[in-house]
Amino acid sequence: MAESRVRVTANSETCVTSSLCVYRVPGVFDQDPEGRVLVLDAHPSAELGRELLRAERGCPTRSITVEGLDRSGLDEADEGTARVEGAA
Amino acid sequence: MSSSCPVSYPFPWAPAPDIPADWRTMRDQPLLEITLPSGDPAVIVTRYKDVRRLFADERLSRNTSRHPASRISASNDLFGDPEIDNDPPRYLEERAVVMRAFSARRIEALRPVVREITAELMDAMEAGPRPAELMEAFAYPLPILVICHMLGIPPADRAKFRRLIDGYLSVTKLPVDEVERCRTQYWDYLSELIASKRAEPGDDLISELIRVSEEDPEKLTDYQLQHWVKTLLIAGYVTTASQIGTGMAVLLHRPETAKELQQDLSLVPSAVEELLRYQIMGTSLGSLRYALEDIELLDGTVVAKGTTVLLSVESNMDEEVFSDACTLDIRREDNHHMTFGAGIHFCAGAALARMELQEATDGLLRRFPSLRLAVPGEELQRPVGGFLAGYAEIPVSW
Ligand code: SF4
Repeated sequence: MAESRVRVTANSETCVTSSLCVYRVPGVFDQDPEGRVLVLDAHPSAELGRELLRAERGCPTRSITVEGLDRSGLDEADEGTARVEGAA
Repeated sequence: MSSSCPVSYPFPWAPAPDIPADWRTMRDQPLLEITLPSGDPAVIVTRYKDVRRLFADERLSRNTSRHPASRISASNDLFGDPEIDNDPPRYLEERAVVMRAFSARRIEALRPVVREITAELMDAMEAGPRPAELMEAFAYPLPILVICHMLGIPPADRAKFRRLIDGYLSVTKLPVDEVERCRTQYWDYLSELIASKRAEPGDDLISELIRVSEEDPEKLTDYQLQHWVKTLLIAGYVTTASQIGTGMAVLLHRPETAKELQQDLSLVPSAVEELLRYQIMGTSLGSLRYALEDIELLDGTVVAKGTTVLLSVESNMDEEVFSDACTLDIRREDNHHMTFGAGIHFCAGAALARMELQEATDGLLRRFPSLRLAVPGEELQRPVGGFLAGYAEIPVSW
């Protein structure tokens, strides 16, 4: 099977251990012993797309980035919450 | 709600289990001038997009003690400890020490413990008189027992502990000297508790924090250690207790919705989330911030430097983000509500609270299939003068 074009990255420096991503997509996200986010699978199947985007949007510190997914049709509700400069 | 005439905050509730009219209309203005219970002025940011942005904005300081910031309460300086800096980088270092206890794995390991406590409380409720009072019989004891388990607090201490916290959390309920007495006694109680754990460490969170502070006193001073234990105890108890009660009251006030959930308990997690969004136990008083600079909102309105700011949890009713926002929908998806905040101060106990709420809701609906409010929902009374809204009493029968 060809490797997925989806790419998931997470910034453990800014993670505040909300655990939201771990509950949302357990196969892709986990936490280290300190509780900071770990990416288990950086190229998950595109079938997880919707859940991945939800995890990205749900992260309270915007510590998750998902690339390689079609975002058209996403509602714009979170447009105003794009990363704010200086946000930890 | 005119901006020239500041309204008193929190807004009055009526009738109890529904959304107050002021919540529905507040986003007509992005910024409202309000008067806090202390009589001090503040503004409240009302729209979801602004609120979520501002939770992540470091120009808003959580440290409301070192500025001429407004107070929540004239008789209680709950958030005004000058020894504690709740801003980064210090805050983040301390928080990281505590948060290892709140990872998904650690929370899931606690789930069976919570289930057991829930079952015991329901046994007692079932054996007791009907109607039962849900707050006293179930909603208060559950999170107390859980947090006592986590922190290694002897069960015998929990009544005392609860009395002190209730007094300590008074906003306008108790006179200044009473609040002060509760604060001092609570602080002394914690000092003794920490000292006994120091002498005899256990397998609990307080002992773990003591280990961290002994290894690296710079990372966590004695004062900070005590402050965090104090905060975890308070935050882990009252908020969850109020929300267990409020969530059940809101649900049971809508018997059809309660039935729907009962018939498909796999909906419990999304129902809990929706009850948190629709949560009418809280107020935005916990989000007190101080503007270090002028900050522009999305529509160009400016929050002036030096203003005390509340970030509205009522933004959960923002129609622009939540369709049919004032309707309870236990199947709602993408429910990124603001009840736990956002950004670096995102509620440390959110995952624990969720798990407790899920276990409580699932447990009650399973054990008592005919659970119902024993009085009309509209007659439920709000407690007066405390930090949280919730309900004073929730009589239930089955
Ligand atoms: S959702 Fe964000 S803050 Fe929460 S654990 Fe995942 S990365 Fe960390």
